[in-house]
Amino acid sequence: MKTIIRPRDERTQPARIIPGYPQTPWRNPKQPLVKRPPTLSELTGPVEMAKRVKLLGGDIAGHGDKQAIGQLIHLKVRVLDEDGAPVGGAVVEVWQANGAGRYIHPNDDDHAPADVNFYGAARIVTDESGAFQLRTVKPGAYPVPTKDGWWRPPHIHFSLFGKVWLSRLVTQMYFPGEPLNAQDRILNAVPDAAARDSLIARYVPPTADPYNALVFEHQIVLRGKAATPEQP
Amino acid sequence: MNSTAEATIGPFFPPRYVDQGANDLTVFDGRKAKGEIIEIHGRVMQEDGTALENLIVEIWQADAGGIYRHPADPRHAQADANFLGWGRAATDTKGGYRFKTIKPGALEGRQSHINFMVMFSGIMRILKTTMYFEDGNDPVLLSVPAERRKLLIAKNNEFNIRLRGENETPFFDD
Repeated sequence: MKTIIRPRDERTQPARIIPGYPQTPWRNPKQPLVKRPPTLSELTGPVEMAKRVKLLGGDIAGHGDKQAIGQLIHLKVRVLDEDGAPVGGAVVEVWQANGAGRYIHPNDDDHAPADVNFYGAARIVTDESGAFQLRTVKPGAYPVPTKDGWWRPPHIHFSLFGKVWLSRLVTQMYFPGEPLNAQDRILNAVPDAAARDSLIARYVPPTADPYNALVFEHQIVLRGKAATPEQP
Repeated sequence: MNSTAEATIGPFFPPRYVDQGANDLTVFDGRKAKGEIIEIHGRVMQEDGTALENLIVEIWQADAGGIYRHPADPRHAQADANFLGWGRAATDTKGGYRFKTIKPGALEGRQSHINFMVMFSGIMRILKTTMYFEDGNDPVLLSVPAERRKLLIAKNNEFNIRLRGENETPFFDD
């Protein structure tokens, strides 16, 4: 069972140096990346991650008197390979800011308040149809402290382990209809408009079930020409 | 660096995701792997030489017999049941990372090597490279321009990663 890996289309992937993101000129290679022949080493990858890392579940909004503050959302995501086939058994790491735009992280000393009922990290395994679900609160936007005065729109981070080392993917998801999407330097670092759109979740009109949460759907493609753009 | 800028733009990979023991590949599911135990270590620096703290380093490698625990490896049925081959570490205040692992065996057509991946604030696309224990004719090593190959060869299991600039680590177009 040999996996064939096709390259990503460069137009669907973000620029590496971003105006107004002051770390990028220091931390992205200046030399051209080296093309290498794929061998067994790159066409294999960790397949029993669930025994190595602690799964945290996909329900991070809290319950009862421990509910996180914010707009409750259900996010339904499918993970696909480059041929559109579902990727089951993939470990997905999710992280996000709380409803006020604050992360639980030693480097986030933003002034937005922490929420004692929200850590903002889910670690899940996709089911056989490549699907996973997240019950969370919608993350808040937050200002980027550069003089340019831009903001990060509400977004959720994903780190995914596909079936092989070459399908490791780190990306972000955005919300539809957010005015801040149009000015976000990271989302708009992707040159191709359709690829940018593929980073934005789909809004699902409310129904009776769930009666108390807004629903969004999203799709992540790990490799190939239709690959989901990488995002930091 | 402007520490306030560092502080707020992210990404803020949760510290909880660097699980206790995730940088020790010699134990899996509570059992000990076969082979020679080694400690690989190094520092990760940006263009001006500043060491980077809380950067995430991941590795992927074959077991002591040069077998990957993955169905694509024709020999995977013989893989060490006590070795997964994946690990994760976060860098410390001096930009240092460390893994306790098993020296990977060579496999057909490849020298002994360890795959690396780094992710961090400001790295727009995860960066992948490969560490070798010695020079040689490995096809991936040979794909790197000759004058840069030495940057992929560890010295006494020390493998430093320079993201950009002088002695920039060769990264692969994956």
